[in-house]
Amino acid sequence: MRLTMLYTLLFIVIICPLGCYTPREERVKLQEGVGSSTPIDNVVTQQIAHAFSAIIGQGIEIRNAVTRINKDGFMELEVSGFNEAYDTRRFEYKVEWLDASGMVIDTTTSKWMQTSAMSKSPFAIKAVAPRTSAVNFRMNTRKIPN
Amino acid sequence: MIKKLLPITLLAIVSFGCQPATENIDTINDPGKAVLGLDYRDFDRAASEMVQSMVASGAFKKEGGGRYVVAKGKITNDTMQRIDTDQLMGKVEQELTRSGLVVMTAAVGAGSEPGDSLVHSVRDIRDSDKGDEFNQDTLQAKGQLIAPELSISGKIIQRNVRYDNDKQQVEYYFQLRMTNLTTGLNFWQNEMVMGKRGDKKLAPW
Repeated sequence: MRLTMLYTLLFIVIICPLGCYTPREERVKLQEGVGSSTPIDNVVTQQIAHAFSAIIGQGIEIRNAVTRINKDGFMELEVSGFNEAYDTRRFEYKVEWLDASGMVIDTTTSKWMQTSAMSKSPFAIKAVAPRTSAVNFRMNTRKIPN
Repeated sequence: MIKKLLPITLLAIVSFGCQPATENIDTINDPGKAVLGLDYRDFDRAASEMVQSMVASGAFKKEGGGRYVVAKGKITNDTMQRIDTDQLMGKVEQELTRSGLVVMTAAVGAGSEPGDSLVHSVRDIRDSDKGDEFNQDTLQAKGQLIAPELSISGKIIQRNVRYDNDKQQVEYYFQLRMTNLTTGLNFWQNEMVMGKRGDKKLAPW
């Protein structure tokens, strides 16, 4: 009797979710409240995950920075990252362009710009140097002043 | 007499002590709160985004080399605020010129006002009796001005929307376009939206 109950429980816990499995399109992110609940991701587990995320202080992670010179000779930058937190993160960034000597290029485009990243989602920041003398960059971020 | 003056003196001291001190703004890394109206940070952001959009567009590469000559067209201020549109255009023009993409002309501008009235004043002097007072070799010869090929124009629009019982939403639209004066075709166009929400009792200007 106990063995039968154990098998039934195992069937419910393991087989049922597998049976319900449908392949996901990785390029499309369904936010909470949009997509279907799953045994792993539902109202109960989400609360635990949110609390845990807040405790360990998850936030913005920068994954990659790509630069290229466009056909007019200006450097283009794309910084891509991921918001590991469970809330939308708004922040400011400032890109400064550096010339071949490593000196900062004086430009009015180097200002604090605002951006936003949805929870558990990738984001990208784009910038273009307004001088052909730019060969490198540096970027800083800060919280949006309240 | 002293008894009468004492409360007034105390009140004056307390009032003076409560006055917020005047301080200079750190315009490089301003940690100040957002305001409902448009402040210098908004113009900085708008100008930066517009210039980057122009540079990235690749639309200003002149065939055969050289740079386009650009005249400043009309920038309409359709907001509830008294804005000198040069606050935006000054930054855009400055950065475009320094980028080496285009050359701005001060000889012609939107309406009857050129970018720099002296361009025409010196010619008026040349053609008048006063011109005789000048060394003729230093006066501007005729046919020297370069006509603009492109014109930059745009509009700043404000929309006020009631958000809820306590808040209002103020939307600002910065629109700029670059027009080829020969063909009338738009070379480049961009719109940037800034939205702000705040106390409905606050005046957004």
